[in-house]
Amino acid sequence: MLDVSRVQKELVEVAGDKVSGVSIQLLGNSLSHLQGTIDGPSGTPYEGGVFTIDIQLPSSYPFEPPKMRFITKVWHPNISSQNGAICLDILKDQWSPALTLKTALLSLQALLSTPEPKDPQDAVVAEQYLKHNNTFIATARYWTEAFAKRSSIGLHEKIQKIVEMGFSEEAARAALQSSGGDENAALEKLCVG
Amino acid sequence: MKVKILSWHAVAAWTWDAHDDACGICRMAFDGCCPDCKVPGDDCPLIWGACNHAFHLHCILKWVNSQSPRPHCPMCRREWQFQA
Repeated sequence: MLDVSRVQKELVEVAGDKVSGVSIQLLGNSLSHLQGTIDGPSGTPYEGGVFTIDIQLPSSYPFEPPKMRFITKVWHPNISSQNGAICLDILKDQWSPALTLKTALLSLQALLSTPEPKDPQDAVVAEQYLKHNNTFIATARYWTEAFAKRSSIGLHEKIQKIVEMGFSEEAARAALQSSGGDENAALEKLCVG
Repeated sequence: MKVKILSWHAVAAWTWDAHDDACGICRMAFDGCCPDCKVPGDDCPLIWGACNHAFHLHCILKWVNSQSPRPHCPMCRREWQFQA
């Protein structure tokens, strides 16, 4: 049976951390299917992108690793360009129950910074990385522009933007809801109200 | 002055001497119990590995049993052995 109290503690911990560039959202009522996001690390072709990750928790979590997969398309030697499958040891045989969803997402961020082309998930990308590195960087940057830009992300990011301007999260959420998700209209409401 | 004690009741506190707050596996307080138990204390004891890391006995047993034949410590990845 899924250790519900541990997952809840993990979610609270991630929600309270605004500096790591990782977040986790609930999808509906189930704690076994979550969605994570990570910011692309700066100084990499993924900079400026926000990457969404599908997270499935097996019932034996945390004794088995979470199943993670990129939903956002990403061009990287260790991530399938077809289906987002990830090749990362801690998500497989190097998992430890002392690791958490947050540390796993941080590891994905680190993986974006340091590809491991000798142990590829996507052989085409890995070969390009090794033989035509400039083309690789250009392609990865283009994919980040095309698929991982903030504007293509939904409500959560808009709320964050408004919160950064100094409004409370509740007020931001309410204003966005009543203005149909239009950022500018929501801001106007907040400023007038 | 003479004091006559009519009644008294003692209060005692206990804690596990784990040098840490919470179990690294279930994240529950060491002075609480693992998720499968209801009452902390001797029925949900702590256990130490040779590497000096402590866990709820029930938590580390679940991990060790899922990792045969060579389980490692969840914290430091050294081969797990119960402290003698």
